[in-house]
Amino acid sequence: MSLRIYAIAYLIFLYAPIILLPIFAFNDATIIAFPLSGFTTDWFTELASNKSLHAAVKNSLFIALVSAITSTILGVCAARAGAMHRFRFKAGIMGFIMLPLVLPEIIVAVSLLVVVVQIFDLGLSNWTIIAAHVLICTPFCIAILNGAFQNLDPAMEEAAMDLGESRFSAFRLVTLPLVMPGIISSMLIAFTISLDEFIIAFFLSGASPTMPVYIWGLLRFPASLPVVMALGTILVALSIVLLTIAELLRRRGLARAGVKDKGGFL
Amino acid sequence: MTALITLTGVNKYYADYHALREINLTINAGEFFSLLGPSGCGKTTLLRTIAGFESVSDGVVMIGGKDMADVPANLRPTNMVFQSYAIFPHLTVAENVAFGLRKSKDLDKPTKAKMVEEALTMVGLAGYGKRAAHALSGGQRQRVALARALILKPKVLLLDEPLSALDKKMREQMQVELIRLQRQVGITFILVTHDQEEALVMSDRIAVMFEGEIGQLADPETLYRRPNSRRVASFIGKMNFLDAEVNAVSEEIDVTVQGLGPLKISAEQAPEEVSVGPAVAGIRPETLGILFEGETTNRKLVDGVVDEVVYYGDMTYYDVRIDGVAQPLNIAMKNLIGRPVLDVGAKTRVIWDERSLVLLK
Repeated sequence: MSLRIYAIAYLIFLYAPIILLPIFAFNDATIIAFPLSGFTTDWFTELASNKSLHAAVKNSLFIALVSAITSTILGVCAARAGAMHRFRFKAGIMGFIMLPLVLPEIIVAVSLLVVVVQIFDLGLSNWTIIAAHVLICTPFCIAILNGAFQNLDPAMEEAAMDLGESRFSAFRLVTLPLVMPGIISSMLIAFTISLDEFIIAFFLSGASPTMPVYIWGLLRFPASLPVVMALGTILVALSIVLLTIAELLRRRGLARAGVKDKGGFL
Repeated sequence: MTALITLTGVNKYYADYHALREINLTINAGEFFSLLGPSGCGKTTLLRTIAGFESVSDGVVMIGGKDMADVPANLRPTNMVFQSYAIFPHLTVAENVAFGLRKSKDLDKPTKAKMVEEALTMVGLAGYGKRAAHALSGGQRQRVALARALILKPKVLLLDEPLSALDKKMREQMQVELIRLQRQVGITFILVTHDQEEALVMSDRIAVMFEGEIGQLADPETLYRRPNSRRVASFIGKMNFLDAEVNAVSEEIDVTVQGLGPLKISAEQAPEEVSVGPAVAGIRPETLGILFEGETTNRKLVDGVVDEVVYYGDMTYYDVRIDGVAQPLNIAMKNLIGRPVLDVGAKTRVIWDERSLVLLK
C-alpha cells in the first residue's frame, strides 16, 4: 500500500510540471498563476509570428539532426569494433571513449571555447556546437549500440562475405538491418540530448542562438513566458510522437530479426 | 586423384602465440577430409585460413593450383557452414539460400528460384522457402546453411563443427546425410571436429592436430589401428599403454612388453624410425578379452584380477590388474549369451594377441 502511494507520488512529481505546460499555454493571462483566467490560442499565434524564435528552433533542429547522425555513425563504428574485433589496449580505448559520459558539460564547453577561439582562432557557429554535441552524444550512442552489436553473431558478416559479398556490402546487407533498432534508438537519444542541451550551446553559439539559449533569453521578459509555455507544449507533443514512432520501429525490427523483446528502449 | 588444396609450410602467429606450425597438407578433389583435434589445437584456424578469414603468417595456400595469398574470402572457390550456422535471421529461408546468387547477375529470377528449390530439396527442406529463418529448429538451420553454401557449387565445402550444436540422435542422422550429400554432389568436404567418432564415421582421410601441428594424417582405419604416437592413440578411442623395451629390429621387431613378456611383432606395427631401447606399446580394449568359464581360446593368456567393472548394457568394460603392470588393463567385452558380469576382485584370465599391439613414439 505504502509502495503504491510512493509510486503515485513519484509519478506526480515527474509529470505534474509537464502537465502545467499545456494548461498555461492555453491560459489567457501573462502571469503564470492559478486561478486560470480563460482559454486562448494567442500564445501559439504569437509563436507562429516570432521570426527570431523560428530561427532558433531551426538552428536547434539542424544541430540536433547533424549531431545525431554524426554521433550515431561514430557509435556504430566503435560498437562494431568493440564487439567484433580484438585489438591492443581495447579496454583502455573503450574506456576513454566513454569518459565524456561523466565529464561535466561546463568543462567540455570551456575547453572547446578555448580550443576554437584561442588556439584555432575560428569563429563560433552552429558547427562548433555540433562538434561539442557529437562529443557528448557519442558515448550515449555507443552504450546503446553496444547492446545491439553484442547480440550479433560475428559469423554473420563472415557468412555474407563467404557467399561472395565484399566487406562493406556484407555489413550493409546483414549487420545493418540487424542493428537498425539500435541505430534508431541511438539517433533519437542523441537528437534529444542535443536539442535541449544548454550549457555548451550557451558558450559556443555565435550570433544565432539555439532554442534553449533563446528561451533562456526570453525568461528575462515575464510577458513572453506564456509563449515559452506554448513552445514547450509543442515540443512535448512532438517528443511523444517521435518516441512512439521509434518504439514501433524497434518492435518491428525485433520481430523481423526474431530476437526476443527485452522491453523498453535504451 | 588430383590435388585440390595444397598447403605448404603454413604458419600462423597471433602475437606470441604460434597457432599453426609448419602445416604441409594436400587435400584431393572429391575427398571427405577431416581436421580432428582437441579445442585450441588450431583446426578451426586452419579451416579459416583455407576460407580466407585468416591470413597466413608464413607459407602458401593453393586452391585449384592458384595461390590464395591475395584472394579475399568472397572470391575464393570455397563456401563454409559455420558452427553457429550464421543464418540471416531477418531473411526468409529462400532469401538465405539465394544470398550467394546476388552476384550472379546473368541468372534471371525464375532460374534462381528453381535453384533455391533444388538446393532446399537436396537438404530435405523442400517447400520451406517462405518460412522465416529465425523460426527454424537447430537441425533445420543446419540444413539451410548447407543449402546456402552448396547452391554456389563451390570446389570446397568447409564445415566448422557443424554437428556440435545438435543432440545425439540428430547428430547421427546428419552424419549419414552429410556423407550421402557429399557423394551426391562430389564436392570436396573439409570437416573440423573434436569428435573422433564423427571423424572416423565420415571421413576418407583425417588429419589429427595437436598444438598447431598435424600429429598424424591417415585414413580412419590406419588412424585407429596404427596410431603413430601416444597422443594420437589416446585421442582416438581408448588405448592401454604398456612400457616396452625394443631388443632388436630386423624384418620383425623383437620387443619385451611389461606384463606380457618377450614377443615379436611385424614392422608395420611400429613407427618407421623405431630403434633399440625403451618404447611404449599400445593395445585397444576390444582386442583384449576375458576367458569366461566354459569358453576356450587358442590365443595367449595372462592371469589377472578384476579391479573395476563398468556395465554399459551391450558391453561391459573391465579394468583388470595383471602382474608387473601398474596401470590395470582396460578390456571391453560384449555381453553375449551366457556371459556373466564379473565382480570386482574376481580372479580371471586375460586373452591377448601380439597382432593387435602397436609400438608408439
